[in-house]
Parts: sequence; C-alpha cells; structure tokens
Amino acid sequence: MATTWNTSNLVPDDTGSKSANSIPWYLWCSVLAVTSVSIGAHWDVSWHRSIGRDTFWTPAHIAIYACGVLAAISCGYLVLFTTFRKPASMVASSVEIFGFRAPLGAFIASWGGIAMLTSAPFDNWWHNAYGLDVKIVSPPHTLLMLGVFAVSVGTLIMLLGSMNRAEQAGNAMLARHLQWMLLYIGGLMVVFQMFFRMEYTWDVYLHGASAYEAIAIGMPTLFAVLWQSSRSRWACTWATLIYTVFLEAAVLILPLFPAEPKLGPVFQQVTHFIPPKFPILLIVPAIAMDLLWNSTRTWKPWLTALASGPVFVLSLVAVEWPFADFLMTKAAANRFFGTTYFGYPEPPTSFDVLRRFVDPQHGATLWNGLALAMLFAFLSTWLGIALGRWMRAIQR
Amino acid sequence: MPFSARTSTSLGRHRKKPGAGKWSERLFLFTIIAILAGAVPARAHVGSPDIYADGKAGPYRLFVTVRPPLVIPGVAEIEVRAEDTGTDAPAISGIQIAPIPLTGPASLHPPVADPMKQSAQDKHFFTGALWIMASGSWQVRFTVQGSQGAGVLSIPVPATSSSTRGMQTGLGVLLGSLGLLLVAGVIGIVGAAARDAQLPPGAVASRQATKRAWIAMGGALVFMIAAVWFGNVWWKGEADNYARYVYKPLTMQALLEQSPNAGPSLKLKIEDPGWLKSRKIDDLVLDHDHLMHLYFIRKPGMDVVYHLHPEQIAPGEFQLALPSIPAGTYSLYADVVHATGFPETLVAQLTLPVIAGRPLTGDDAKGLAQALNPARVDGNSCPASLITRSSFPLPDGYTMVWDNPGILPAKTPQIFGFSLLDVKGKPASDTALYMGMLGHAAFVKDDGTVFAHVHPSGTVSMAALMMAAAQNRTGASKADEMASMPGMAMPAASNAPTKLPNTVGLPYGFPAAGAYRIFVQMKHGNTIETAAFDACAAASRN
Ligand SMILES: [Cu+2]
Repeated sequence: MATTWNTSNLVPDDTGSKSANSIPWYLWCSVLAVTSVSIGAHWDVSWHRSIGRDTFWTPAHIAIYACGVLAAISCGYLVLFTTFRKPASMVASSVEIFGFRAPLGAFIASWGGIAMLTSAPFDNWWHNAYGLDVKIVSPPHTLLMLGVFAVSVGTLIMLLGSMNRAEQAGNAMLARHLQWMLLYIGGLMVVFQMFFRMEYTWDVYLHGASAYEAIAIGMPTLFAVLWQSSRSRWACTWATLIYTVFLEAAVLILPLFPAEPKLGPVFQQVTHFIPPKFPILLIVPAIAMDLLWNSTRTWKPWLTALASGPVFVLSLVAVEWPFADFLMTKAAANRFFGTTYFGYPEPPTSFDVLRRFVDPQHGATLWNGLALAMLFAFLSTWLGIALGRWMRAIQR
Repeated sequence: MPFSARTSTSLGRHRKKPGAGKWSERLFLFTIIAILAGAVPARAHVGSPDIYADGKAGPYRLFVTVRPPLVIPGVAEIEVRAEDTGTDAPAISGIQIAPIPLTGPASLHPPVADPMKQSAQDKHFFTGALWIMASGSWQVRFTVQGSQGAGVLSIPVPATSSSTRGMQTGLGVLLGSLGLLLVAGVIGIVGAAARDAQLPPGAVASRQATKRAWIAMGGALVFMIAAVWFGNVWWKGEADNYARYVYKPLTMQALLEQSPNAGPSLKLKIEDPGWLKSRKIDDLVLDHDHLMHLYFIRKPGMDVVYHLHPEQIAPGEFQLALPSIPAGTYSLYADVVHATGFPETLVAQLTLPVIAGRPLTGDDAKGLAQALNPARVDGNSCPASLITRSSFPLPDGYTMVWDNPGILPAKTPQIFGFSLLDVKGKPASDTALYMGMLGHAAFVKDDGTVFAHVHPSGTVSMAALMMAAAQNRTGASKADEMASMPGMAMPAASNAPTKLPNTVGLPYGFPAAGAYRIFVQMKHGNTIETAAFDACAAASRN
C-alpha cells in the first residue's frame, strides 16, 4: 500500500486543514480527547460516591476510554498520513521514530492512546483475577493514568509546535487561536493535576500543611511550563480560571441528575449525583505567579524559582485558609459552594459530614510543613522553567 | 472502574489516626475493614460453594440459588423459583434483591435493592446478579411483591475469594506485545525529542544532535528496563497480597486419647493457619443446638458414618468421649459457625483401631451401609446403575425412601425428597424433630472433595439464617419466624402437639459431576435413623 501512495510523493499541502489559516481537525480531536477524560474522571468519582457499583460500560468509563480512542484515531491518522502520503509541509515539520513520521506531540499522544487502550483488557483481567477495585493504585490503573497524562502532554506539544510554526510564518491570527487552545488544554491539565490531589486537598484537610504540600509538588511545574511555553502573560490565570469554572460547573450540574446507591452500607441518603468539592482558590497564586514572572523575565531561572516558592505557597494559604473556615459554616451550605453533598458511604460521624477539620495544625508544626511546601514549590518551579523553555523552542 | 475507590476516602476518614498517611489504598483498606468489622471470611462446606435455600418471604415460598463469585469483590449470580405454583397460590409480581453484611453496624444500612428479571417463558423463575464488595458474612435480602402484599426473606451468603486466576495465553501475548510497543515507543519518543523536536521545519538534524539523541535513547532504555522491573516486582507483590486473601479454612488436628481410667476420647485442636486477622477461633456459636457437628465417614467406601457433637473445653479445643467405632481410616468433617454467622467446615483424617467406647446418647447417631463400589465410577462420569436402590432398610424395621431419584446435571437446584416408612411400609406416624428439624443430610462425593451438611432450609447455616431472619422481623414473634422455615415445624401456639409429616425436602445441587453418597437422618419416637443413598451427577449443562 505504501508503494502505491509513494507515487503521489509531492502532495501539495497538509490536507488535514482546509487552509494554512485554520486549525486542523486532528488538533480539535485531541483537544476533545482531553476534554472527554476530564469529564469522565469526575463523573466516575461522582458515580462511585453516589451509586457505588458499576459495570465497564458506564457513560463515565466510556468518556474516559473515549480519550484513548480519539487520541489513537487523530494521532494514528497523523502518523500514517505523514509517513505514507508524505505531504511536503507536514514532513518538513515532523520528527522520525523507527521510520514513522509525525509531529512529536502526535507520537506522545498516540503512545498515551495505546497505553489507555492496553490498560482496558489488562484492567479487566486484573479484576477477574484479583477482584474488582480493591486498590486504585494498581498496575493497570497506573498505566491508564500514564496514558491520560501522555495524551494531554502530547496534545499540548502538538499545539505548541503548530503555534510556534504559525508565529514563525507570521500568521499571528492562527498563532493566537492555537494559544487559546493551548491555554484551554493547560486548564484541563490543571483540572487533572488537582483531580489526582483530590484526596489530599479535601476541604476538611485545608487547615493542615499536607494539603499545601500536595499542591506545591508539581502544580508550580505545570504553571511554569504553561507560562514559559504559551507566551501568554496571563497563562497561569487563564488555566486556573478554566479549572475553577470546570469544577464549579461540576458542582452545579452533577446534582441535577438522579442517582441512588446500589451498594451498602448506605449512611447518607443519596438521591442525585454527588459533585466534587468546591474548587481550590488556585486562581490567587496563579495571578501572583503571572505578575511575578512578568516582572522577573531577566532573572536567572533558579532565582525566579526561589522567589516563586514562597509567593506561591503563601498567597494560596492566605486565601484558602480563611476560605476553608467559611466552607465549614452554614453560610457555605448551599448549591453553589456544595458543602452539603456527601457520598453514601460517609458515616454521620465523619469529619466531612460534621464539617470539622481533620487534625488542624498551627504554630511550629504548621510552619515547618509550609516551609517544606515552599521548598517543593521552589524545586517544582525550577523544573517547570527548564521544561517550559525547552518546550518553547519546539517546532515540530 | 478506573478511579472508583477514591470515593471511600471520607468513610475511612473518621477512623483514621491524625497525621496518618492519606494514601488512597490505605483508605480503601479501612473501608474493607469497616465492612469486615467482626466478619470472618470463610466458606461453609467443602467443595460446595453454591448456596441452595428454601424459605418463605411472607406468604410466598421461594427456592433460592446463590452462586458466589470466585474472587471478591465480584458478582454473585442469583436464581429464584417460586414454589407455590398452583391456581390458588399467591402470585409473585416482582422480587428485589440487596446485598447486606449479615452482622455489624453496616447491616443496618442496606443499599437500594435491584429488581430481579422475571423469565418470559416461566413466570415463576427470576434471575439477578449482585456485587459482593468484601469478603465476609453477607446476606441477600429478597423483597417480594405479589397478590398477597409484600414479604421478605434473607439468605446468608458467606463470601470469600477462593482462587486467583492465571492469564490466558492469547491475552498474555496481546498485552505482552502492546507492552513492548509502549516501551519501544518511549525510547523512540525520547530520541526524537532530543534530535528533531526543536529543528526549524525542513532542517536536517546535525551529527551532534543525532549523537545526543542516541545518548538520550540509551538513558531511556535503562529507565524503561528499571520501570518494567519495578512494575514486575509491584505486580508480583500485589498478586501475593491477593493470594493471602484466598480463603484458608481453620485447620483441625484430630488425636485419639486412651487413658486407663476414662474411656477412649477424641481431642480436636483447631488452629488459624494465619489468614485474615478478623477471624477468631473463640467466637463459635450454637448451630442447631451444638457448637460443633462432627461427621465421621469411613474411607473409602463410606460404609460407616457417625454424626457426633464434641464439647468445647477451651477456645480452639474440642473433646469427645468416643462411642464404639469399627476400625478404619475416617474422614472427619466438623461444622462450626462464628458469631458473625460465618460457617466453616474443618476437615481432618484419623485412622482408628477398633474402639470400644460408650453407647450413643442424645443427638448422637450412626449409620451402616454397603460400601460404595468404586469400580462403578469412572472419573467424573457415573452410570445410572450406580443408583442401585432408592429405599434403604433401617435396623429397626423402618425404611427410608428417596422419593425422586435420578441423574441430575451438576449445579442444578433440586429439592431432594425422602420419606420414612414404618415396619408395615406405611408412612411413619411417630416422626419427631431431630435437633429441631425434620431431617438432616450430608452430601459427600466419592473422592471426599465435596461435603455439604444440608437441612430443609438448604445449605445455609441455621445459626446464620436465624441472624438474618431476626433483622426482618416486623412484629411477628420468634415462633412464627421459626415456623416459616421449612422443616422447622414448631408446636402451635396452643402447645397442642401437632403431627409431623413423614417426609422431608432438602434443597441442594451437586457442585460437580461424579458419584455421591447422601446420608439422610430422620427421627421417630426416640430413634434417630441414618440412611445412605447413592447418587450420580452428570456434567453441568453450562
Ligand atoms: Cu444438621
């Protein structure tokens, strides 16, 4: 088949897009893939807190695995098309792996898609062999999560390459649109990063240092990568705004749908889907980071990172700490802040239901923990700046 | 599946030590412990995991089959047949099922019940499936609606993981090649990132960049080898962990003690082989009047059987003054029930010389039969001629008759009917209750791999059944509840003695094809009769 196609060795242009000014369909497809898994993951957690039991074919699982399918379709197409059809412009902006050609991000995202699709039969066998969902952190689940991560990173890098090329070609409009998409994906990456930290950042944990440590590990890396690579002065703000809107939308929308527990013991009367907790006020450190980085462009990366650590942690604690107090009050017990929703297995004696902080810290213990968080934030930022600068130069 | 167990976070939270790690897996473990609280994972009987039960949900009589999953969590398959099918029998319009822990606080908080599916061909037949999420002592609660209002029946289900499965070759090859592809993909991506990613469109990588790429790929290869190695160690660790959850029954050691002044006695020592910590050996409860029901069955012909009741002399220690017993090698099957309603059958082997002991007293019983001829049995198939007779002459001139003999496929539920006839061959008129029931049976496979102690209410432990029934009580008295269990006919409220039927029905299904001996015990007057019938199970239909 390849030989037949080789005759048309000089396909004029990228047929994936109608013109050089529009965003090709495979980028939309990848963005849709990341959107799908973000929705699916939150839906699935809600499903397990509200209904408890499932089969493989729940809509939430389909949304999760659709990410792998969409990534495999869009990037698999891209790899095969570029390799065998050899359109001149696409070959020029591709990398080569074992004879196959495509943009780097397409390889990463299709790797993620294959990893996700591999995890499905693996996971199914795992449950048949050892029982269902005894542990979340199992080898097949880890493969699934690595796959999701690779799809989002691959999409980000594809968008970056396209954006950088558009800018080089003087196509400012297209570059601008690609930047928006990139920030949207950045926002969904914030959503997913916070999803993995859900158990550590539950509102009842917010008066202890560990919640802030969990956020300080890795979140500043993502912030710095987005800020450095996207070339947007307000990259962190936009991405966290998307996170905030996404989570709040979940808080408002999920309870509109009915659900009832199918597993016992049932400690809470559940009649509708239980939404996630109100979003963390990450928007504040995000604005702080954007402001800081805008005014320290000439600094050495390590110095910027050193300043970023305390600014990130302290600005977050300064707003989240009193806000957590508010979340424990009756004033927050409404649909908007969503502190009245409890999963069916939560006993009435749990901290969450009682609206009380778990193990509140103060004094030296707290400050030691926060100092550690600042150290994490410093190192994370440093890593993020290095990665972001490398990614900024990606052209393929 | 993918992100599910996260949700148990908040359940674990309230019992978590301050400052303890918040790792999800640990939290989920808390949940399991919460459900287990006091429950002991185990499995009743030997080699006979499926549950067959006969009971009444209010006015509706149900024959229930529950097939527990091989691994926990897993899906239990449930079948119900409505037994009263006459024209004036109450008609069932729907049945709902819910899985609930049998004891402990969690038993008070059942989930929303699931409707069973009514067969289109047979309106009296219902099927359903339920998730059993943790090992332990569960019950399935059946709520029936019909022409005479609602009724409830709870059937205890002991649930344990009984095995871990290997991987099929095809799947192994598929996953192995996908895994290789993923490993190669990482190396290729790292190389391309180092070599080509930052080149302007159309440019060709420099020799320096190519060299840099090779170094990066070498690093990636080392990293991936380490990752695969780590993954393998992790996988093996997980598999070993699960293997520890696979049910291991309590072990039992049988010792013959001959002291010069007292008669010969049997000492049974029970030990926990090291499994789930929540299993205890000092929490046994009475099950139809005794802490332990011990069957002695002589090998290999199953021609001698004793049903005896040792006394507990210390936790994990039972003693029994032996009656006179012929010499031989005996299989010992001991049924016990934990406080959680969890039944276990402990097994041991014992070779005895001729024992000259005490006479049989109380609920003790013995039976003699012709040896099961092993020549008739060929592996897992057996000829119809194995069933040589369906009536068994008893030593005192009475006869016991198997009313519905025949070859049944394995895993097929049936009510095995037996009748007691007097010396004249007329239905016995002096039938009495033996340990509160019309009959007791032991279904034993010829190779000793199956032993099930069955009652008119089925294979479930009577003690567990009472615990389950007590939760469904809605003003009805305990006597009503007992009377609602088949074969547990109680004297009427006026205390006037009622005449008992001379027949007993025992719900059971053979777990696998092969030859079985059924020991059936009934009582009349003060005589406990023990009969033996040979049965054959054909290969399962599915
Ligand atoms: Cu019995």
